[in-house]
Amino acid sequence: MMKFRFKRQGNDTQREKAKQDVFAFNKQTVEHGFPSQPSALAYDPILRLMAIGTKSGAVKIYGSPGVEFGGRHVPGGAVTQMHFLLGQGRLLCLLDKNTLHLWEISPGDKGSSLDKTLSITLPGRPGVEGVRASRVTTLLPTRRCDLLCMGTEGGAVRTLALPSLAALEARMLLQDQVLQRRVSGVPDEYKCGRSLGPVESLQEHPRYPGKILIGYSRGLVVLWDLNTWQLDALFLGNQSLESLSWERSGRNFVSSHSNGSYVLWAVGGSRCPPVCRPMSCTRPYGPSPCKAISKILWRTSESGIPLVLFSGGMSRASYGDRHCLTVTQGDTQVALDFTSRIIDFFTVHHTEDGDRFDDPTALVVLLEEELIAFDLQTTGWPVIPSPYLASLHSSAITCSYHVSNVPRELWQRVAAAGRLQSPSQTAAKWPISGGNSFASAPKQKDLLLTGHEDGTVRFWDASGMSLTPLYKLSTASVFQTDGDHSNSSAQEEEWPPFRKVGLFDPYSDDPRLGVQKISLCKYSGRLVLAGTAGQVLVMCLNEEWSDHVISSSVIDLLQDRKGFTWKGHDQLDPKAGRIRFMPGFQPVVLVQCIPPASITTVALHAEWNLVAFGTSHGFGLFDYHFRCPVLARCTLHPMDTIAMEGPLSRIKSLKKSLHQSFRRIRKSRLCGQSRLLVQGLAGKESSKQLGEQGDSRDADVAPVQRRIEARSAEDSLSGVVRCLCFADTYLRDAAQHGPTLWAGTNAGCVFAYALKVPLRSGSWGGAVEAILSKEIQLTHRAPVVGVAVLDGQGNPLPEPYQASWDLATSLDVQASHSVLIASEEQIKVFSLPKITMKAKLKLTANEGCRIRKVALVSLAGSHALLCLTNLGDVQAFSVPGLRPQGRENCIHREDVSGMASCVFTKTGQGFYLISPSEFERFSLSKCQVSSSLCSVEVQRNSQTAVPSTPPWRSGTPSASSTGGPPSLGGQDGVRISPGFSCGDIVMDTTGDLTVEDVKDFLASVDEMENNLRNRSTNDWHSAGILINGTVWNVL
Amino acid sequence: MNRSFIKSQSLRYLDCNAVEVKSKYGAEFRRFSVDRQKPGKFDEFYKLILHIHRIANMEVMIGYADVHGDLLPINNDDNFCKAVTSAHPLLRIFIQRQEEVDYSNFGTNTMTRRKKAVVTLRNDVNRKRPQIRIGMPQDFRPVSSIIDVDILPESHRRVRLYRHGSDRPLGFYIRDGTSVRVTPHGLEKVPGIFISRMVPGGLAESTGLLAVNDEVLEVNGIEVTGKTLDQVTDMMIANSHNLIVTVKPVNQRNNVVRSSRSSGQSTDSSGSAGYPAPPPGSLGAHGLAGDELESDEESDIVIESSIKRPSRRSNASATSRSQALQPAPATASPSTPKRPPSLISTASFHSQPSLNGVPHASPSFRLHRDHGSSPAFRESNGSLHKILNAMRIDPRHSLALPPGGVEEDGTVITL
Repeated sequence: MMKFRFKRQGNDTQREKAKQDVFAFNKQTVEHGFPSQPSALAYDPILRLMAIGTKSGAVKIYGSPGVEFGGRHVPGGAVTQMHFLLGQGRLLCLLDKNTLHLWEISPGDKGSSLDKTLSITLPGRPGVEGVRASRVTTLLPTRRCDLLCMGTEGGAVRTLALPSLAALEARMLLQDQVLQRRVSGVPDEYKCGRSLGPVESLQEHPRYPGKILIGYSRGLVVLWDLNTWQLDALFLGNQSLESLSWERSGRNFVSSHSNGSYVLWAVGGSRCPPVCRPMSCTRPYGPSPCKAISKILWRTSESGIPLVLFSGGMSRASYGDRHCLTVTQGDTQVALDFTSRIIDFFTVHHTEDGDRFDDPTALVVLLEEELIAFDLQTTGWPVIPSPYLASLHSSAITCSYHVSNVPRELWQRVAAAGRLQSPSQTAAKWPISGGNSFASAPKQKDLLLTGHEDGTVRFWDASGMSLTPLYKLSTASVFQTDGDHSNSSAQEEEWPPFRKVGLFDPYSDDPRLGVQKISLCKYSGRLVLAGTAGQVLVMCLNEEWSDHVISSSVIDLLQDRKGFTWKGHDQLDPKAGRIRFMPGFQPVVLVQCIPPASITTVALHAEWNLVAFGTSHGFGLFDYHFRCPVLARCTLHPMDTIAMEGPLSRIKSLKKSLHQSFRRIRKSRLCGQSRLLVQGLAGKESSKQLGEQGDSRDADVAPVQRRIEARSAEDSLSGVVRCLCFADTYLRDAAQHGPTLWAGTNAGCVFAYALKVPLRSGSWGGAVEAILSKEIQLTHRAPVVGVAVLDGQGNPLPEPYQASWDLATSLDVQASHSVLIASEEQIKVFSLPKITMKAKLKLTANEGCRIRKVALVSLAGSHALLCLTNLGDVQAFSVPGLRPQGRENCIHREDVSGMASCVFTKTGQGFYLISPSEFERFSLSKCQVSSSLCSVEVQRNSQTAVPSTPPWRSGTPSASSTGGPPSLGGQDGVRISPGFSCGDIVMDTTGDLTVEDVKDFLASVDEMENNLRNRSTNDWHSAGILINGTVWNVL
Repeated sequence: MNRSFIKSQSLRYLDCNAVEVKSKYGAEFRRFSVDRQKPGKFDEFYKLILHIHRIANMEVMIGYADVHGDLLPINNDDNFCKAVTSAHPLLRIFIQRQEEVDYSNFGTNTMTRRKKAVVTLRNDVNRKRPQIRIGMPQDFRPVSSIIDVDILPESHRRVRLYRHGSDRPLGFYIRDGTSVRVTPHGLEKVPGIFISRMVPGGLAESTGLLAVNDEVLEVNGIEVTGKTLDQVTDMMIANSHNLIVTVKPVNQRNNVVRSSRSSGQSTDSSGSAGYPAPPPGSLGAHGLAGDELESDEESDIVIESSIKRPSRRSNASATSRSQALQPAPATASPSTPKRPPSLISTASFHSQPSLNGVPHASPSFRLHRDHGSSPAFRESNGSLHKILNAMRIDPRHSLALPPGGVEEDGTVITL
């Protein structure tokens, strides 16, 4: 936990102390959502923990809800395989850089944590010619957790001691050993060419530890006994192999192949060693050519009918593009049809030796975009709702909104609506149940609302440390869209028996439906959603089904502005007539802006029944009680043509393309050599601010240059309304407060309207009136990003209904209100109603950073203004004095989308998207920290502790005295010992050598030999990467 | 010629205190004399001229040719007195109608050139060469100055650019680069920010104080080392109303030499070189500009709308607003073209020939724009952009805004 580095502001120690009590920065407390680009999956049936690795090198471990650990490989690299050392709380990760990492769940006083204990670099990096052969293709830790077998590209199986990761180089099974020692067993066709192909699969015998099934890519499968170092059986497959899976008894196993078939084999026979032929061969989706079955599992059940699960194998021509996993049990067969690629899957089943059958309870499938679990004990195999790893991005997130401290009543109503929406189809509990979470129940209920591109809004329970879905609201039903197609699944044939599963659906029917802004009144349950096509929906929470007509209005924000034509998208057509709505939030009023530009800001005042909204053209005020417009105001500058023409302007693009082509010509004249455009990326954001001209220029010409020009009123998009706020304050005189509306634009202009809101309860029910009272033009003309009214103490005014709900926060009636106006460059506090400046902070002029987001938050009772800048810093300032309180780097400078997605909570936390599917939560408040508090009880006996020195260090490096291939084994034999006589190996390997085989052998152990040469000539410590890696990481 | 010579000689003989005056108005000549010692007041002389030439109901501009052959104006007592005392042998007066006065004809070498052009008057001359308009002195404002010369190293230069809310672009670009610093460990390459390009006709170019490849060291007193190009860009833009950049000029030859400080006014930190005291008449405008110079405070503008007529509904409120504001644009827009044609003059340290930089087309452009937007005004909801724009362009107009649309006390609050 890092403390703020405070700026010296006098020597007010008390103040400093107060600051330290209040502020504390936690860069990363928890991550919510689904890890981006998962690449590996592992499951420990003993500890009941699941691990997910990603392409960026992140490792996450999940147990029962609330049990989460995370780690990250530094430097990154894609995790290609992960394996738990069963029951030990240790996790092995293989990265695509051919490095092997051992992670350990270690207990701590604040719960368990995940730490990396060992890293080694395996010899041979991919891509380097000649050492490709030693690239690891598959890993197998034995069940006893004493040995790690690694299958390699070259076809050899190497072994490492666990958990020390020390190489046991004598115990390396080369293909030659398999082929040569029992010449009679292997038919000649397997010996042709150089090898059997890479090791494709390694599986340990379920009954006899130490016997492993080795599957080679070309189809040969061998059962090898590691204890006796002997071949037990040969299985003569002739299709290229994809995966192997044992049956529980060990009498059978199944192999899957690249032609879409799977083969059942029986183990055991009379010959010694037995050479087996397949028992049965099935091509489930044949006879037309099929894609490979990439993974297969065979699970026995009490009913006697085994459950076969495999991924892929679909008919290549018809369904080759589907991501399918087939589950078969007898006659029941379902092809689970997913929306994204299958990474891996496992079943949760009985593993104790006493159990006679597997009896799988659940199937867990990791897809590229989501994790889905199926209940295998309920007929129909329904989906088990996941308590974590929510697929936030089922449709792209367009906005997010956080509500702190939600009243119990609203919470229950939303949760009830959510339960009604997705009735649970299964009683099964979440199958992954390891570890204990001892995080206390959240003190308050927090909601996170995410708006999506497809017009949905999802309500998430953000109170605890995992983000769980509560309720989903769709607005698409209000509009006529092209996507109103009949259910196409009806037309689909019976075979294959597809069943669509999964929430992830990146294809939006109509991008205009996208939800851009959300506002929720937590006391009244009024919700406002505003979208891409200028639509504003006001919704009410209703427990009943409803069948009603939505009141629809159109507001022309251009007013009578002439000479402008909107060339963007059309407005959405609302459905006519009655629409049936489910219990939950139901739309009541629809307001559509003309031109239908995207809504840029929205404000709701439920007490006054008013909603205000802004676009790039102006802003409007609507009374949803009387369903009539109150105000429409155009904010366009007369010279601003880009805003008028909309995002799809032809003129703009023509101009831009002309610019670019001219520039290209000039560039080619100026410099002949090609240059990278990478430089332009860093500053893309700011050049966007400088207008189109600067943008196109900067993107193309190297070196990057920036135009220094003052902002002018003619800058494009100056009319964009950036913020709106309602306040009950003193706008016109100091004696009388009243309702006001504030609007800030991109051109640095703030409009303040005095509102006349008639009392609803009173006899006079006149209409709402808005009168422009003040216009403030900030001379620096930077976009206004926030406006807030503060009371006499400098605290933000209470929300609507807050005063009546919560008596502690009554409206401060002292007439010394002030208004805080934050632009991208400066923050100013003005007194009301005189608009005289009380405090000012010039951020950009002094530090060169611009404000992206502002929020007034409460930190341990005192209020502060949090600013997120374009450098990714979060800065805190006191209000209303605007003194810097702290500053911390939070989001990476280049992470523009992360900054754009950042939301602050009222209590000083924040969320931002670290990937399209993951929120990261951070905290600036000392008393508000969400972090995972959980433990996993791990029993490791002392023998399995990671040794401080590798066992072979005691041996003498006598190997240098010998040389040549025959003695290689012997040399290695010196350095490991237990249970093996090196003589055996030397004899065996040398016995039946032919000249050809020696050549092969030399090629495959080329790398090793090189290592040995190094060892003999150089310092002992630099002998092998393996050695160094081990020693260093232990120390 | 000969005759006149004799005549003038004889006159001088007769009365050496008298100065012969040859006054020309159009094609007419008049000859008379004034007292060299006591030439009298300009007003009297002016009346005399009008009387002699029988000019009535017309403002004229009086000019004379001085000993060097330059055409200089006579418009006050001082220069009248100077004209009379320096006349040798006779005082040649040229009279022009006020509205036809072409100031470009005044100044150095004007008469000599005119002689060559065989007394062709203003128009012919104008046709042949691009016209340079120089504003009247009261319209002069500083556009740049070199400041803090006494505290900076000689190799550095701190330049202040004054925008005065004009719509002239600052006009330069910056880029990343590497500069070489002398450190205890020897020469070291460090990243730096450099000026990469000048916009022709821009403020930066016209001052002559900044040049391409100058290294930017500070922006408004804040060092730029360790800051990214984007940060420096943002800082400069945020300070653009009063930008002070400290540069290390790539050309070190024009540096200020310390010892010569007494001789050159250029080192004055106020940048008063070439910045004459404003005539009393224009104090208003300069008062405001002066404020801007003294403090780097920008003044946000708060406009209070008169809330005399409460409105109903959106349309109603819109109309009331536009009514309330109607007078303001009505006066603001026409006043724009009346502005002296050359609003911006360069009075920089180098006094470069950058006068060319004042675009000749700028007045007409502005006119065009005003016309273009005024219909929108009349019909529309009274956007204040126009007024604000006008204010920004020339602060004087903000004072000229009549009460009504904008309340007098709340018009412009300097915050």
